[in-house]
Amino acid sequence: MERECTAAVELRGIDFAYEQEQAVLREINLHVDRGEWVAIVGESGCGKSTLVRLLNALLTPQAGQVLLFGEELTVHNAPLLRSRIGMVFQNPDNQFIGESVEEDIAFGLEGLCLERGEMERRIASYAQLLDITSLLHKHPGELSGGQKQRCAVAACLAMEPEIVVFDESTSMQDERSRRELLDMMDHMRRQGKYTIFSVTHDADEMLAADRILALKDGRVRGDRSPAAFFADEALLRDCGITLPFRLKLEQELNLLGIATEDVAGGAARKRKHPSNHATAERGQRT
Amino acid sequence: MNGMSLTDGQHEKGRAAGHERETIIELRNVDYTYQAGSPFAAAALHDVNLKIQRGTLIGIAGGTGCGKSTLLQLLNGLLLPTGGSVRVLDHTLLPGMKKLRLNALRRRVGLSFQFPEQHLFEDTVEKDLMFGPLNFGFTREEARTKAAEALRSMGLGDELLNRHPLSLSGGQMRKVAIATVLAAGPEVLMLDEPTATLDSAARRELIALLARLCREEGRTILMVTHRIEELLEAADEWVVMNEGRIVFQGDADELVDRTNELREWGLAVPEQLRCWEEWTARLPQLAALPLPRTPEAMARVIAEAVRGSAGAPDAVRVSAPESIHRSAPAPGSESPSEAVNEARSGEWEHDLCATN
Repeated sequence: MERECTAAVELRGIDFAYEQEQAVLREINLHVDRGEWVAIVGESGCGKSTLVRLLNALLTPQAGQVLLFGEELTVHNAPLLRSRIGMVFQNPDNQFIGESVEEDIAFGLEGLCLERGEMERRIASYAQLLDITSLLHKHPGELSGGQKQRCAVAACLAMEPEIVVFDESTSMQDERSRRELLDMMDHMRRQGKYTIFSVTHDADEMLAADRILALKDGRVRGDRSPAAFFADEALLRDCGITLPFRLKLEQELNLLGIATEDVAGGAARKRKHPSNHATAERGQRT
Repeated sequence: MNGMSLTDGQHEKGRAAGHERETIIELRNVDYTYQAGSPFAAAALHDVNLKIQRGTLIGIAGGTGCGKSTLLQLLNGLLLPTGGSVRVLDHTLLPGMKKLRLNALRRRVGLSFQFPEQHLFEDTVEKDLMFGPLNFGFTREEARTKAAEALRSMGLGDELLNRHPLSLSGGQMRKVAIATVLAAGPEVLMLDEPTATLDSAARRELIALLARLCREEGRTILMVTHRIEELLEAADEWVVMNEGRIVFQGDADELVDRTNELREWGLAVPEQLRCWEEWTARLPQLAALPLPRTPEAMARVIAEAVRGSAGAPDAVRVSAPESIHRSAPAPGSESPSEAVNEARSGEWEHDLCATN
């Protein structure tokens, strides 16, 4: 039975190593509230994808505890808790099973033992949301990389999970699809019912998140707001992140004596502003 | 637009290391249809005409499903055209021909796939890296040397050589996959969204490496990307595809003049251009100037324009164009929730002024 708990995810003293290899994650502690969006960033091989695979027991840590909704994740309760977490992987080919997109979405829904009518409703609804209705009867092999990724996202969301992990889900998308997916992630956050983890190298995705968890050599190197993260040059360097063109331009202007006094707004403001509602919604729920 | 007209500067850029500008790739009226002749036939390319010269770095852009990947796969014979002809170096590929003796072509034309796992099938990184060189006739020792060199050129250390390729992280796997192609030393290097899963620092390093291979060694590089801005500075030429057709061929200056069409084609307007348009709206005198490609160059031009219009008091006070970041939080508000709440509740300032 679920206890009253505001935390969606807690990691306590996590260590993890793949077989016969050196530790990938060390002493990871993390507390993420329900409804938060946490972007996980860092250089290739720093442990980002490993970290999110611990959340649904795809991997088991050698030390420490993973708690979901206040309950420790164990081999016994993993199947039940796993149904509350959806994952969208880096490579959509890793999650295609069906002979058609529709079958693929249905596969996960069958696992939830839903009635046929409800399955059909969800397939139609999430296909429309992700703009893949015309692809439903296609074989995954006929789809381009970006189309595959949208189908993978639809299959995940159709299971209506409470925690959604996007593992570089925007990386293979073209610009229009990337922006649509980002807007959808923002919409999900505003609804307040999803807790989002997104492993990413995309600056817009980082800026849209509530928090940025930066990993370096398997340890937490920083846990900041996007504004604080992008203001910390040493942290950016450690995470293999260069300033986006626009921020670099502002920095250069400052160096040339053109002061940007609390330059702000625009895209981030548009994207961040709605999150006030999410905070308010969460405040009412908790 | 007719063919690929180059500016003088770009001719110089492309004419690296004394290589003559010889046309090495030519597509004439190329069509490609998947499962042609079956009820599931799906046309991917229509009437594509394209010429590419040796030693140039070509950016290929287009929305999802526009035929970019199909185009690349036609250039090393993985696919044969269903209409028209494809000439690559001294090989001509025609519809229905038997795919014989294409090894020689594939040695000279390397293709890095969109998904890195498609390159990795051995049980160690080193074996995967040596596969190409061995297949193309190098000795085991030469192949081992080429493997290590290719891995280092991608910024990865020798300690990965004995790792299982599928135990690597997504970014490492991507770099190793590109290294497997580099190891064979192709004259033409084609990369299908190679930067997709790399961090921004690694993206810059990769593009610098590609530019070096092009400028210093005369290799021809074709790179598919969704992010025009990352390659805007380095590319000699651009090819934009939409719904299976080439809708644009030309240089970067011509490309950035087509802002509205870029949006129609499902592409991002490069960030450089978005910033420039915003500043030009505030400082109209910038409109006559060419687009500066780097933030440093753009800042210098903007600073001059701001100072030039700073004769009267307050004259330079202009609204800051849209920015994608907020100010850093005040010291002491480092905890994420505090900083986020502060930023959310705070007023957004838009004023910008020149300081002396």
